[in-house]
Amino acid sequence: MNTINAQPADDHLLHAYVDGQLPPGSRADVEAAIARDPEAAARVAEFRAQNALLREGMDAWLDEPIPAQLIAAATRPARAAHWRQWVAVAATLVIGVAMGWTGRDATLARAGIPTTFAREAAFAHAIYTADVRRPVEVSASDAQSLVTWLTRRVGQTAHAPDLSSVGFELVGGRLIAGNEKPTALLMYENAAKQRLTLQWRKMASGTGEAQFRYDVENGVGVFYWIDDACAYALSGSLDRRQLLAVARVAYGQIASPDAGVHAH
Amino acid sequence: MALTLPHPDLVAAIPRLRRYARVLTGDANRADDLVQDTLARAWEKRTLWQAGTDLRAWLFTIMHNLFVNQRALARRDARTVSIDDEGAGDAWQLPVQATQFTRVELTEVMQSVGKLPAEQREVLILAAVEELRYEEIAEVMSIPIGTVMSRLSRAREKLRRMAGEPPVQLKVVK
Repeated sequence: MNTINAQPADDHLLHAYVDGQLPPGSRADVEAAIARDPEAAARVAEFRAQNALLREGMDAWLDEPIPAQLIAAATRPARAAHWRQWVAVAATLVIGVAMGWTGRDATLARAGIPTTFAREAAFAHAIYTADVRRPVEVSASDAQSLVTWLTRRVGQTAHAPDLSSVGFELVGGRLIAGNEKPTALLMYENAAKQRLTLQWRKMASGTGEAQFRYDVENGVGVFYWIDDACAYALSGSLDRRQLLAVARVAYGQIASPDAGVHAH
Repeated sequence: MALTLPHPDLVAAIPRLRRYARVLTGDANRADDLVQDTLARAWEKRTLWQAGTDLRAWLFTIMHNLFVNQRALARRDARTVSIDDEGAGDAWQLPVQATQFTRVELTEVMQSVGKLPAEQREVLILAAVEELRYEEIAEVMSIPIGTVMSRLSRAREKLRRMAGEPPVQLKVVK
């Protein structure tokens, strides 16, 4: 608008006047200016009308009932602090003879995330989540030992994200054999007994960009991404939107690990 | 440095966080996802909150940054799953509470706001509805205050144009 370019200062004053943000003293000046200028008066009236309508329309949203999961997310007790107090128990950890499936795909570890990773992640997910009695080797009660162990074996600082904000609790984890590199697997479960696995392995070379990708392998949805020289995959039989919600929490915590269980 | 966050204040902030998230995403469901992420991030970053300072502005800042980062991440690659947008396009589909008193211009202005560029819409709502001070908006969005003013000005002039000739009823009764 020409008026903006011609009189930026006046224009800003009018907005500040409308929004009640004028420094004391300037208010009378602006009111006097408006009284002399019908065009400015019309704009002020209209901006005020916009404000009133926007408030009317959007204030109505404030009265809507709040979803329970948002209240839970707001009142979440500091689980991380609780977990950090745990004393690492020296446990005899049996390194699993993991199910290998070498040679499934020769196109591993090219630049970017190998799509085989998603397939392998879905495969491992299907195998281990189906195991009712012994889904993990190390249970969540030994979470600290678990991340320490996985850190050592995978060769990258491990981190068990706290997914309680999206309703999932850590069950435990295990080490499995990837094509070239050992792969860490953490399992989570929600109240409905749905299970998720978070898997990661060190990349053969270089680092990639953090990009969420999504694949469905044999009915198992997999979000996968690269962060800090590791490829990560979150797998589950949830619908894509639910899985994405979890993946975002996991991604955020791995990228800046403040919550969850860390390796020391 | 805060070791924890005041739960009641966080819960009390939810309605306004949801509103701001709707303004950012233009979609009520995606908005709630963003609120959830924001609360999770607030807990993760709780040591960065200065007790006694405005919790809401701090939460808005977290939300703004999350939204901007998620959008950038989503756009980086065509194969990338869009985080802020489940393929729904940029359609603005926010509820206008229909009452028998719902006026045409209320529906109109809510639709018009959806047509504004996201950054103008954000400034406008923070100023007009959330009634943040311009300096606070600059801080939430990490932009100079001059940019706040120019975006606000453009947003309002656009709304004005979209409304066409202002109908007589637009006069505000205070």
